[in-house]
Amino acid sequence: MTGNHAVAQAVRLCRTPLIAAYPITPQTAIYEKLSEWEASGVLKGIMMRTESEHSAMASCIAASLTGVRTFTATSSQGIALMHEMLHFAAGCRAPIVMANVNRLLAAPWGFWADQLDSLSQRDTGWIQFYCENGQEALDTVIQAYKIAEQVYLPALIALEAFFVSHFMEPVDIPEQEQVDRFLPPLDLPHKFDIDKPGFLVPVVSSELYRKYKHMAQVSMDSVKEIAVQVDQEFKKEFGRGYGIIESVMLEDAEVVIVTAGSITSTARLAIKDLRKQGNKIGLLKLRLFRPFPGETVQVALKGKKKIAVIDRNISLGSGGIFCQELRAALVHSPDRPLTYSYIAGVGGTDVTPEVIQKIAMGAMGRIDPFDQPIWVME
Amino acid sequence: MGRVNALDTHEFVIPISYGSTDVIETGKWGFQKPHTTFMTAPCQEACPAGVNIPQFLYLTQEKMYDEALFTILRENPLPGVCGRVCFHPCEASCNRAQYDESVSIHAMERFVSDVTSNQIQDIQLISNRDSKKVAVVGAGPAGLSCAYFLSLLGYQATIFEAKKEPGGVMRWGIPEYRLPKSILRKEIQRILSLPIEIRTGVRVGKDIPLDALNQFNAIFLSPGSEINAPLSIKGEHLEQVWKGGEFLERINSKEKIILGKETIVIGGGNTAMDVARSALRLGSKVTIAYRRTRNEMPAIQDEIVEAEEEGGRFEFLVQPVKINLTKKRRIAVTFQRMKLGSPDQTNRPKAIPVRGSFITLEADSLISAVGELVDLSWIPKKLIKDDLIETGSAPKIFAGGDAVAQPRTIVTAIASGKKAAISIDLSLRGGNDDENLSMISVGGKGSLSMEAYLQGRDNGRWPEKKGVVSYQQINTLYFEPTRRVRMRMRQRNKVLKGFSEVNLGYNAKEANFSASRCFSCGTCNYCYNCYFFCPEGVISLNPVDRTRVVDYLHCKGCGTCAKACPRSVVVMKEVG
Repeated sequence: MTGNHAVAQAVRLCRTPLIAAYPITPQTAIYEKLSEWEASGVLKGIMMRTESEHSAMASCIAASLTGVRTFTATSSQGIALMHEMLHFAAGCRAPIVMANVNRLLAAPWGFWADQLDSLSQRDTGWIQFYCENGQEALDTVIQAYKIAEQVYLPALIALEAFFVSHFMEPVDIPEQEQVDRFLPPLDLPHKFDIDKPGFLVPVVSSELYRKYKHMAQVSMDSVKEIAVQVDQEFKKEFGRGYGIIESVMLEDAEVVIVTAGSITSTARLAIKDLRKQGNKIGLLKLRLFRPFPGETVQVALKGKKKIAVIDRNISLGSGGIFCQELRAALVHSPDRPLTYSYIAGVGGTDVTPEVIQKIAMGAMGRIDPFDQPIWVME
Repeated sequence: MGRVNALDTHEFVIPISYGSTDVIETGKWGFQKPHTTFMTAPCQEACPAGVNIPQFLYLTQEKMYDEALFTILRENPLPGVCGRVCFHPCEASCNRAQYDESVSIHAMERFVSDVTSNQIQDIQLISNRDSKKVAVVGAGPAGLSCAYFLSLLGYQATIFEAKKEPGGVMRWGIPEYRLPKSILRKEIQRILSLPIEIRTGVRVGKDIPLDALNQFNAIFLSPGSEINAPLSIKGEHLEQVWKGGEFLERINSKEKIILGKETIVIGGGNTAMDVARSALRLGSKVTIAYRRTRNEMPAIQDEIVEAEEEGGRFEFLVQPVKINLTKKRRIAVTFQRMKLGSPDQTNRPKAIPVRGSFITLEADSLISAVGELVDLSWIPKKLIKDDLIETGSAPKIFAGGDAVAQPRTIVTAIASGKKAAISIDLSLRGGNDDENLSMISVGGKGSLSMEAYLQGRDNGRWPEKKGVVSYQQINTLYFEPTRRVRMRMRQRNKVLKGFSEVNLGYNAKEANFSASRCFSCGTCNYCYNCYFFCPEGVISLNPVDRTRVVDYLHCKGCGTCAKACPRSVVVMKEVG
């Protein structure tokens, strides 16, 4: 099954009554699958075919605030168009779940994997997860609802174009009863009350604005713990867990590769080979990006000497965005490690085990701090 | 959840205002506002009687049958008749015909009449009754219509009818299987329940002179076309040869007629079809001989089809030249073969003889139905022009129906009666025809609206002129293609056994569906599109009170309602 169809399966299992979306490659397969199920009656909900992603998100917000579970899927230019409404969704504390298939942003035009589209939405107040494969994408949609609906914040799960969205892999589809057991019905305290008509998004004073922003920050911060807890509950029910980060062979690692998304699975292979050759390389996978699990990362990387962050994205004028976040998280760590920013896979270029080995060995050979991003071009 | 959750310490997650924003008059921001503007539907324009068709179909769909009937009666006193025998030009103009198939307006008119005709409706009369009297000569569709509308306008009408019963061609011409007499009687009874006097069996020009009507303030002349046009050929006066009008009159008088085994009908008009189908019902085999081809036949298309389906055989491009008696006392009719030539004044191709080509058909009887003429022998010469009545020189005298220059159909006769009633009213009140009639025209095809006339008659507040809705003005995205419902018909093997009505009408379900197919061009049918699409929630509709209210203080003039209106009723107009 493809990653896209895995996401659609999760939406079906979560009994989402309202889906509003607009098709865009490489997300369209999600849209199509859900439409097909709506037509055949497999999906009990309504599939709203809106005229734009902006409207899709506006529809999700309105529907969510009536107290129902909502979903949308988008990609690239679509999420860029949605930007304004993403702030509204978070500000209205609407627990919407969105799947974003990471595709490069134009120009130049292209359809290939690149994480910049969702990373550009970093500050909109959405929870963000980056998934390694189709199974994880399916599981994370289910987890995302459970988390979002506890903190009343929207959640985005990202999967890369083609590498995850279109690759066929075996995926375990949970039983409906299991999902029903795991995911309680949504109970939104601030849902519309037709007996007490009110109006949302009124003009507020500076102080009130600050108050609501602060409240949202407190809620967002709580996600770090809730996400761990939900993941553990998930593991108990379904036998699979991911953690908000994952450490692979870190104990004796001299260089730690840090990845997010599909490059992680390639890195797992690459470090096995490197270990066989006697190189002590470890791997840290970042899964939860917003809120950024700074404390957890600090603990995991305690005592490490060198870090090589691989970013399939570039913040022009700075560097890889995961690297920026990691550096910021480690700034107060005692004996903080040397952290290098490697840019690989931008625009959907292939990140092979050889590329990863090249990065690991390159970092191994460096002894001085280096701020600039290092582009890996084979 | 060890850490502080927003909800643990705060009552509200997001700010919600329970106050009203009504104080902010957002309507002042806009430069245009939506207006409900009823327009004329093309069917209504095409209807010679100007019936408000979308309105009566809307009311039928809402099962408000009495109101639907009143809507028709405002413009046409004979819906049960027209719902059966009208040539229904409305359907040819229906915008829906360009989308899938036209709406079954004709059948719906019949349905409304049938579903309500068990009761005599109270017709709203205008209050200020006038003592002025008007004589109406002829109780056919034109005369009855004129008397009806004169009565609505407050006049005392007296109808003079030569025959023993009123109805004219509807009573004596059209056969029972197309128009049951019971239906006609009910409709005439409804008209005569108004303060109208009728004197039957009085032929003006014979029993009383036309001058005797001078005591009336105005006179309306609507003699029917009673004279059968002659064939002017040898053998025309044989006893086996019938005149179409006389034949039908005897059928409609329930006289026993024996035609024999085979009958030839000459002609291609509605009378010829009525004659042919009646002859079939008398057990004769029928051949219809027409000098042009099927395409040029003036009869209503349905009538031609039904005549053929009932077993009528057609012989085209033939013209009779002589009729001989055979030894077995049958007739042998010799026909000249014809061919089509260049178009004549009526834009039909001329029939031209094919030199030397003749055929002979034998039969027991022949019925000629090649046209009818109006007997004008009793009309003063100064009122006759081109074999029709021309009243320009006599201010008190008006005319309509077959005696004036217009198509000889029931509905055009009704329309001429209405027009005359209005002209008489204007003349007796010192008004001017040309000026006023243009104020009440329905579209641009000559139909007049009595409703509009009554609205502006006394105070000059004429309704605003309405445009005709084109197909392009219909937002067809809001409709789905559907088919017309074919009317149920009496079983083929039973129709020829008598004169029972062939078409059986719609049942309530078929009627409801057929009414729902109406695009309702230019008429609000409370589809609620504007209400649902309005982003500001400032539109309120009430189908019961027939009100549509826009809160202009809060309407920003976005125009969504106008775009969402499927039928061109909501239009944006600039403010100021």
